[in-house]
Formats: sequence, C-alpha cells, structure tokens
Amino acid sequence: MDLDRTTTALLAGLFDPRNAAAWEAFDLRYRPILVGFARNCGLKDNDANEIAQETIVRFVEEYRAGKYDRTRGRLGAWLVTIARYRMLDVKRRAGTARIARGDSAMVDLDDERSVSAAYEAERRQGLLREALEELRTKSRVDPKTVKAFEMLVYHSLSPAVVAEQLGISTHDVYLAKSRVAAKLREIVLRLESEYEETPGEWDAAGARPSDGLRA
Amino acid sequence: MSADQTAIGCGQYSRDELELAALARADAEVPVPAGVGEHIESCPVCRAIVDRFAADNAFLGEFVQVGRSRESSRSGSRAQAIAAEANLGPIAGYRLGDEIHRGGQGAVYRAEQLATRRTCAVKMLLRGRFASDRELVRFEREVEVVARMRHPSIVTLYESGVSRDDEPWFAMELVDGERLDVAVRARHASPREIAQLVKQVAEAVAYAHRRGVIHRDLKPGNILVDKDGVPRVLDFGLARADEDGEAAGNQVSPSAGATRAGEFLGTFAYAAPEQLAGDPNAIDTRCDLYALGVVLYECLAGRKPFEGARSIAELVEQKTHSAPERPSARNPAVDRDLDVIALRLLAADPARRYDTADALVEDLARYLDGRPILAREDSTLYVVGKTLRRHWLLSSTAAVLLVTIVASGIALAVAYARAERERARSERTLQGFREALGSANPESGKGSADISVDRFLGLIEENASDALKDEPNVLAGVLDTIGIVHLGFDDAKRAEPALQRALDERRELFNAGGCTALELAESLHNMGRLLILKNDLPAAEAAYREALAIRERDLGRDHRLALLTGRHLASCLRREQRIDEALAMYDALFRRASARPDYPPEEFAALRNGRAFIYFQNNQLELALAEFTGALEAVRRATGTDDDYRVGRSLFSIARVEDRLGRRDDALMHATAAQEILRKRKGGDAATVVDIEKLVSKLREPSKQ
Repeated sequence: MDLDRTTTALLAGLFDPRNAAAWEAFDLRYRPILVGFARNCGLKDNDANEIAQETIVRFVEEYRAGKYDRTRGRLGAWLVTIARYRMLDVKRRAGTARIARGDSAMVDLDDERSVSAAYEAERRQGLLREALEELRTKSRVDPKTVKAFEMLVYHSLSPAVVAEQLGISTHDVYLAKSRVAAKLREIVLRLESEYEETPGEWDAAGARPSDGLRA
Repeated sequence: MSADQTAIGCGQYSRDELELAALARADAEVPVPAGVGEHIESCPVCRAIVDRFAADNAFLGEFVQVGRSRESSRSGSRAQAIAAEANLGPIAGYRLGDEIHRGGQGAVYRAEQLATRRTCAVKMLLRGRFASDRELVRFEREVEVVARMRHPSIVTLYESGVSRDDEPWFAMELVDGERLDVAVRARHASPREIAQLVKQVAEAVAYAHRRGVIHRDLKPGNILVDKDGVPRVLDFGLARADEDGEAAGNQVSPSAGATRAGEFLGTFAYAAPEQLAGDPNAIDTRCDLYALGVVLYECLAGRKPFEGARSIAELVEQKTHSAPERPSARNPAVDRDLDVIALRLLAADPARRYDTADALVEDLARYLDGRPILAREDSTLYVVGKTLRRHWLLSSTAAVLLVTIVASGIALAVAYARAERERARSERTLQGFREALGSANPESGKGSADISVDRFLGLIEENASDALKDEPNVLAGVLDTIGIVHLGFDDAKRAEPALQRALDERRELFNAGGCTALELAESLHNMGRLLILKNDLPAAEAAYREALAIRERDLGRDHRLALLTGRHLASCLRREQRIDEALAMYDALFRRASARPDYPPEEFAALRNGRAFIYFQNNQLELALAEFTGALEAVRRATGTDDDYRVGRSLFSIARVEDRLGRRDDALMHATAAQEILRKRKGGDAATVVDIEKLVSKLREPSKQ
C-alpha cells in the first residue's frame, strides 16, 4: 500500500492550507466521484460540477474547523450529506430537479439509502477506473493479455473470436481473463485500503455535518 | 500446448467447457455442454473451479460499465479507443472515443467513421433506466427529423443504426465548439455580435420551420458556436414533425404519438408559456420563437428573463402575466431595438410574437444594417391611430355614464374639470352653471356672483347630503365626484372629507349588500389618488391594490378601469422608488392596453409618461426620450391639436431629457414650443411655466465652452 495515498494521509495533509499536493490529490480522488454521483441524482453537468466543487470546499472547511471526526462516520457519508443538502437546494431552486431535466431522475434525494447507494456506486466506479488505468499503465501485464481481457469482457466477444483476432488459442484467452482478474483483484483490494472505505462499512446514520449546512 | 488446454480440474472436462458452465450461471442463454452440469454437482474440484470462474466473471463484469462511462474517466476512454482499434466497438464501422455529453436521452461520443476516417459524433440512446419504448420512438423521430435537414447552422446527420447491443445510435457531424451562452460570455460579445449569432440561429430555425419541423427544445446548450464563430443548432431530440406540415409539399411524417398530452418535454426556462401549460395542441413554431427570445434575452442581459420561480405554476404565472425587465436595464449597451425584438419574442400571447422565424431574421438583419426594425412595442401608434375614432365614441359614452351618477349639471362640470384640470375654464363653466342654477333656484342664485368652485361644491355636498339621505349609494357617488373635482385642483384638504365619507359609506353599503364591489373599487381608487396627493404612498398603494383586485376580478385585467387603476398603482410604486416593480407593471399594462383597440390614447400617453419618468430617473436618457416622444404622439392624437397644455408638458419633458443629453438645439426648440403653448394656457400649470422659462433661458445662454 502506498501510505501517502491513503485517505488518512490525504486528510492529514489537508490540515495544512499550504499543502497544495494534498488538496489536489483529494480533489482528484473525490471530485469525479461527486460529479458522477450528482449526475446520477439527476443534476445537469454544470450543476453537478458545481455541487462537487462546493462539497469539497465545504468539506475541507469543516474538516479544518475540526468538525469532521472520522470515528463518527465515514468520509463518504460525510461528503454525501453535504452534497445532498446542496442538491436539495438546487432542486428547490429549480422547482424539482426531475421536471427540470425533463426525464426521471434516478435517485430520490429524499431517500437517504438510495442516495448513499448512489454515492457508493460512483465511488466504486472511480476506484475501478483507477484500477483499470493501473492495470494498463503500471502493472507490467502483457498488453496482449490486457487486450484479450478487454475484448472478452468489455466487448462481450466470444473467446473464439478474440482468439482469432489476436492469433492465440481460446485457452490463452481464458488464461488472460484469469490473470487479469487476479491482477485487478489485487489492485482493487489495495485501492480499497487506500480509500479506507469498503462497502460493508457504511454508516449513513453515523455521520452528520453540522446543521448549519442548510442555511 | 499444455495438457490443461483440454482438461483442468479433475480432468474430465476442458477449460472451455467449465468456463461455459460458469458463464451459464449468469446467463441462461449460454449453452452448457452435455453432462457438465451434473458433473459439477458431484465433483468438488470442478465445482470450485467453476465457482472461481464465475466469481472472476462477476468481478470483471463490474468493469464493463467503467469502460463505457464518463468523460471524466481517462482510462475509460482509452478502453474504448483500444477496443475500437480492432473495429470491435459497440458500433461496427466506428471507433468510439471520449464521451462528449450525456443528456436526458443519451450519451454523445466523439467517434471516427473508420471507412472515411471522418471524425464525427455518435449519439447513443442509453439503455436500462434511461430508455423506454417512448424514448425509442423519440429517438427514431430525432433521426428522421435531423436527417432531412441540410443547413450551415444545423448539425448534419450522417447515418444511423443499431449497435451490437441493440442500442439505436446515429452519427452526426462533430462540432467543435462552445455552448452559445459560454461563447458569448467568453468573448464578451457585444449586443451586435449577439444579434448576429441569434440571427444565424433564427435562420436555421426558419429553415426547419419551412420543413414542418419544430425544434421545441432550443436553449444555449443546444446551440454550439464553432471555431469559425458559426452557431450550430443540435439535438433535435425533442423535435417532432409538425403535423400540419408545410404547404410546400414537403414530406412530413405524421406524429407517432411520441408526445403525450399534458406531458411537458421542453426545458423549463426556455419553454413558452403555452408549452409549459402542457397542451400539445398549443405548441407550434412560435414556441421556438419564444425560446429564441429567452436565448437572446439571456445573452444580452446576462440572465434569464424570469428567474426565481419556485414551481412550474409560478413560472407560468410569471411568463403569462408579468413582463420581463428590458435587457437594456441590465446591460446599458443594449439598444432599444434589441429590447423591442427580445420582448416581442417573449410575448406571452403567441399571436404577439413574430409571425415567423423569417420575420425575426428580417428584423435582426434590419437592426444589424442600421435600418429601422419592423417590430413595434405593443402599443403601436398605428394601432392607436387606427382606433382613434372608436375611442372618442367610447369616451363620450363614459361621460354619459358619469352624468347618470350625479345631477347633470354637476356631472358636466366634473367631466370638464377632469378633462382639463384648468381652473380658469372650470370657473367659466361654473359661471354658466351658476347662472343656470340661479335661474332654477332663486335662493342660491342671488348675490352669488363671486361664488368660488369650492363654495359651489360645498353647497352641492350639503344639499346632496340632505336630498340623498335615503339613497346612500347615490350620495356616495356624488361625494366621490365632488372629491375628484377637488383633486383636480390638487386640493387635498377639501377632497379628503368627501372622499373619506364616500369610501366609508361604500364599505358599509358593500358589507350590507347595498352596493357592488365595483362601486367600492371606485371609491378606493379615488382614495388612492387622494393619498398620493397627501404623499401617503403606502396607504395609497394599499387602496389601489384593493381597487385593482376588484376591478381585475369583476371586469377582467384588460378592462379600461382595471388598466387605469393599474397605471395609478404603477405610478405609486415609482414614487415609492420600487422602480423594478413599477417598470414591470408599466410594461404589463402596456401590453394589455395595446391589445385593446379602444384604449384611450391619453391613457397610452400617461403610461408612456410614467415609464419615461422611470427611465429618466434611471438616467436611461435615450429610452426616456423615446418614451416621452411616444407619449407626445399619443397626446397629439388624443387632443387632435398641438394647442393643448398636455402637449406643452410633453414637449417640456422632451426638452429636459435632451438638455441632459447635451442636445442643446433640440432642447431649445422643444422648450420654446412648450413655452408658447403653456403661456397661452396659463393657469393650472404656473409652476411648469416657470420651470420652462428657466430651462429656456439656460439654453439660450452662450455655450461655456
């Protein structure tokens, strides 16, 4: 595990306003998650970007003010609560977000469970993206193996077609799948530990930013 | 090749066979080789292997979504790029790149058409929770519609199809550009440049309209400004072929019912009020004109015309009943013609917008060429002039009505006093009446040569109170009228007892069912006038509001009396320095008044004067000048002569604005003309005459430069 990359390390770095690197790393990790999350809650791109930014800024303020206590709830739950209030604001301003978009929003903001689930799904996606990126760029797994995996899994091609395209046997294709699966598992496991948030540890009721947030 | 290529686990079955067994767990369609199922049940080794394969599959399955999602994912786009290299992407013949945009209906990807190496955009309908059968129909419609059109400002459709995953898609021209509003902001576009852009968009819309196609979802996000600065309209996702089609014989597909009655599709802020109301029959090409109006307005003013509504109902209410502030109020660089064009497009009533997008193009072209635009503000002098004759008829009817309220002699005097507000003439009239009265009533006629108006009215009040004891409603009417005459002489002290009594009487009567709400409203309106004179603005506002509510309720918002009270209220708001409210009110009144062909021109004049004063106060001198000039025209039409003190006052107002604008020659010309008129008709406007003298002598001073 890269200790500097853990959420704990990021948070420690965030205490220091001059630590631009910590800020950037934190932003890089959580902003895309929050943007995707807000979109899934039915916000338009602009609003989603804004919500993400506001949420991060707000969180860091609260955190520096000592309001966020990790023992009382997971970081994600905290972020979700901040973002949720912000989204409810946007929704109020726009009448209702559902109608404003002209389609049905997927997540009911009034339902905390589905909001938390939406965030978690987005967080997991972010993590998987990171894992995939790492597999391709840093893992030293043979590119052909990666390609076989992508064709097989991502494009749902039959092993026979993949084998033919790549000039290898179907067995190799399956082998590639197994290797990549093992590698990705390893990466994902490590990233999860860096994020320090595993799906089972959610405690939506535990974390509560201050009430002043609504104002 | 090693042995385990054909057999793994206990060795009875090949890897391929066990992989298939694993796949079959997640997908019932996968054929399981004969015997494998039973074997796994009984063989723990092979079962463990299949379990692991299935777990791998499930785990890797998570990445399928990741690979396809979001432009924020660098890795995801790379996955697509790699996949597409083998031409094995979701769409045959295309290499998909980054996701460019994700909207309500689908995602748009940057893509390459492999055969032509042409870069394009591919839009895919999202599956799962995004898609429904109705959306599918809509998607097909979109393809049909866009495919028919070729225009430099409309994004061209190349081809369409269905992906490997059975998802409908189409490829269109890729526009590398910014959203219109972003482009306008980034370039600090001048009103002229904005007009140029909107004109091009209007041309595209006109082109589509000629083909029976309504966009129905025009908004800045659907208009991209490309690198050459050309706006490009895209996303005809909500467009539907106009059922009525075009007479030009174009093929127009019939509506497939993609739009359900009552279903609202367009984007809120840009939707015309009739579109918001959800009646599909009300939607026509003029909805697009409205949307263009919002786009134009937003680009010019930097904000949307209606903001702050908390619900659709509220937004509809705003869009229907209030007029947005002029764009120039937000952005002084915007000139009057653009104000007029934008507000014209935003008319709540579709009939008051431009008739066609072509007409809008024409007016924008005229504006850009510096030629006069064809659109007029709602109260066109043309309309006024045309209906002048009808108006006179109506106002004499109104006079007759007045007569029935009070004794005929008083009524005539009052009518005269109201019309002229000139003490001298009233006195002369009074003289006649006094004589008439004297001959009819020897008692009051004797020795009354020096009777004043005040005394005269006092006498009437006394007599009426006595004579009309049993007719309290008629008495209230008389008292009201007497109060009005006093108001005509700006005499609050004498007006107050009469008007207060009239109002008290009417309130009591109304509660007891002895008079109508409209009669109460009349007294309230008059009370408002008194309170204005006393400078008790909040109380005046309250009285006007109550009167207005009654008149609008019982007569309709467009009734002359409702408009009259509305105008007084607007004037009151202006005095209270609630400029925005006042201006909005004036604009709304204006619209309603001009919808009435019989609206009195002097009322028009008063409306324009009121608005002009606001502009003057805001130091929007050009606008003020235009409004005062409009008011002057209306006054001239109303009086049919230049020889009227109201013409004089209008000229004086114009002169004052011109003086502030530094146009000395014009100011002097108009001030002198005003002076001539008002000197002849001295009396009621002594203060104004003095002010004009001052202005004229100041303007005659040699320039200090």
